[in-house]
Amino acid sequence: MNTDIIIKNLSLLTPELIVTGTLCFVLLGHAFDRKNSQLYVLLSFAGMLTALFTLTSYIGVKSSVFSGMLNVDPFATYFKIVIVFATLVILVMSRFSDEVNNETETVGEYYFLILSMCLGMMFMVGASNLIMMYLSLEMTGLTAYVASGFTRKAKDSSEASLKYLLYGAFSSGVMLYGISLIYGLTGTLNIAGINHVLLQGSANGWALSIASIFIIVGFGYKISAVPFHYWTPDVYEGAPVTITAFLSVASKAAGFAMMMRAFKVMFIDSSAVSVLAGTWTFIHGVQIQNVLIILSVLTMTLGNLVALWQDNMKRLLAYSSIAQAGYMLLGLAVLSNDGFAAVMIYFVVYLFMNLGAFYVVMLISNKINSEHIDKYKGLGRKSPFLSVALAVFLISLTGLPPTAGFIGKWMIFLSLINAKMIALAIIGVLNSVISLYYYVRVIRNMFLRDEQEAGERMTFPYAQQILLLSLLIPTLYFGLFFNQLIEFAQFSVAMVGVK
Amino acid sequence: MIPLNYYLLLSAFMFCCGVLGVVVRRNAIVVFMSIELMLNAVNLTLVAYSAFLGDVTGQMLVFFVMVVAAAEAAVGLAIIISLFRNKQTVNVDELNILKW
Amino acid sequence: MTFEQSVFYVLAAVSIFSAVMMLLQRSPVNSALYLILNFFCLGGLYLTLNAQFIAVVHISVYAGAIMVLFVFVIMLLNLGDEKRLREHLGIRMYFGIAFSVALLAELLYILGFSSANAYVQQSPSAAEIGTVEYLGKVLFTKFLFPFEITSFLLLAAIIGAVILAKKKVVQ
Repeated sequence: MNTDIIIKNLSLLTPELIVTGTLCFVLLGHAFDRKNSQLYVLLSFAGMLTALFTLTSYIGVKSSVFSGMLNVDPFATYFKIVIVFATLVILVMSRFSDEVNNETETVGEYYFLILSMCLGMMFMVGASNLIMMYLSLEMTGLTAYVASGFTRKAKDSSEASLKYLLYGAFSSGVMLYGISLIYGLTGTLNIAGINHVLLQGSANGWALSIASIFIIVGFGYKISAVPFHYWTPDVYEGAPVTITAFLSVASKAAGFAMMMRAFKVMFIDSSAVSVLAGTWTFIHGVQIQNVLIILSVLTMTLGNLVALWQDNMKRLLAYSSIAQAGYMLLGLAVLSNDGFAAVMIYFVVYLFMNLGAFYVVMLISNKINSEHIDKYKGLGRKSPFLSVALAVFLISLTGLPPTAGFIGKWMIFLSLINAKMIALAIIGVLNSVISLYYYVRVIRNMFLRDEQEAGERMTFPYAQQILLLSLLIPTLYFGLFFNQLIEFAQFSVAMVGVK
Repeated sequence: MIPLNYYLLLSAFMFCCGVLGVVVRRNAIVVFMSIELMLNAVNLTLVAYSAFLGDVTGQMLVFFVMVVAAAEAAVGLAIIISLFRNKQTVNVDELNILKW
Repeated sequence: MTFEQSVFYVLAAVSIFSAVMMLLQRSPVNSALYLILNFFCLGGLYLTLNAQFIAVVHISVYAGAIMVLFVFVIMLLNLGDEKRLREHLGIRMYFGIAFSVALLAELLYILGFSSANAYVQQSPSAAEIGTVEYLGKVLFTKFLFPFEITSFLLLAAIIGAVILAKKKVVQ
């Protein structure tokens, strides 16, 4: 591989290079001014903003770089935009977080960790070789383990990160075994190459099914699908709230993107004629559509049911985000471009509403130093703006109109109905009804329950309110004007290596 | 010559020993060692396939697995140390501040 | 039995033995030592597979670096033996054991008895691909990008480990 080719390939990865450069600067900034967190935020914010602008110029580019290791295609670019945007929000959120700012000694490393997680996720969404998938998964994972144990004050922080690490290392080990079996069956690790070999149909069906289930374990862990979700509530509660928010949105998006690409490119039989137009079938011998359906039903049902008993807001949102992953898995199990586009739309919506909910929880915990749901009583009087915003985010998470959450769910259910999977759509709707109960419980606590002792009004600086507004407005905007978003998602379904 | 299946069976056995260790043992460090055993079982599968298929990709993945294992060991042991300082234990059963 | 076969059987037997012993030892140091024994056997098995370079790297990375780190941490924390191997064998643990046995049975079935691909002979090119020269050439051309990513992964791991180990105790 000569220099020209390397430079040509790298030029397609400019956004990633910008992120890499930024995080090197953040590390170097450490040498000059250790405790100035403002400097780090500004530096990383500027870098990420540049990366976002560069990304927009890659919309529509479809190419494969570094001997098929990474794909730069509309699908990857779409998810990269989601991830970089989430990183921007998290950076500002961290600036406002007391939890982070109290760690004056290591605040520089904190921003380094956020940026390197972001970089790992950007590689995850583009990875088109199982080696790259494994490496980028681990890169994101390793930084996330450290970041979730970052705060020194919280006693549970290191416990959370140990649990995260043990579950993470275990499931990536299982996934790796699946990868090694796939390699043995096909002799290659490139996902398009694997598809090519599998289509010739010489592989042992049993071994193939086991290998694909092992690979699902690795992905399922990353997106916290149900039998592999054990780490989620503990890590979400123990980690700093900014990291929790980041993991629940960006890490999940990256995991989903990688899973969607892997299944679509590796296991879909492109020559088969399906019964319903627009849906795909798996290669003969890989029977994992049922596995996906079972996973998604389990995930959303268990997530919603357990959330009913939660009293800690972070934990409640953790279970709610497990349930949300269940809805998104439904969109994946449809196995059609419509379903994939629905998942992608859902992620944009989810980005705003979930980050918004976590942001409000963080602001309140800054003031009253608690995340307990009883402490939210009477919040409607103490801080009307915050309470209304949280109510909107929660209504959106339930999926009620006129919020963006409704559009996200609607698109997923629509794709299910188009694929004649009515029963699944009904299960999804029933689950949304269950979720209404615990979201409304929070809203009721804020507005309808009075606190025993009359608290003082809470006030928040304008800067903090602006960030809240910039999450709130899209949540409402996409609920009413969604055509462009849908078009963009449908355009972005295109991947390299698929007809 | 030893046929491929012998290597695969050996590595399957080692992999399951690792899984068993993760499930049964309670000492976080031993759990972590069991995970290393699992990764090594995978490496054996990969090298065996690589030699019998005459393809180099498997051996490449082994290199990357080693790097990841080393990085993971460093981070994991650092986490275990910081946990031990806080709680004076590395028993995973005693980690119960966070429960559902 | 040829020389090669006897080497394989001895190494395989020792590695199975050491893997099982690692599970059964109550003292973490003993577990670690059995694991090291297991890694040496694996190094030998790599040699029988003509992967010379992997074998050397494996010994120096696993036995030389990772396991030293493990033993060092065990010594540093001054961990005693686990009181009993299974403190409370709850339903979760039975489930775990059943799960691993089922997994083993499944894997043995798939890999051993129903395997359609009967490879009995190593590929003639196996000796060539195991050399440093060949591996290096591939690593720096086709696998250049993942190779660069690993350098980043190591940087992140170093910084992460430093942050965590630097944390002070909260009273």
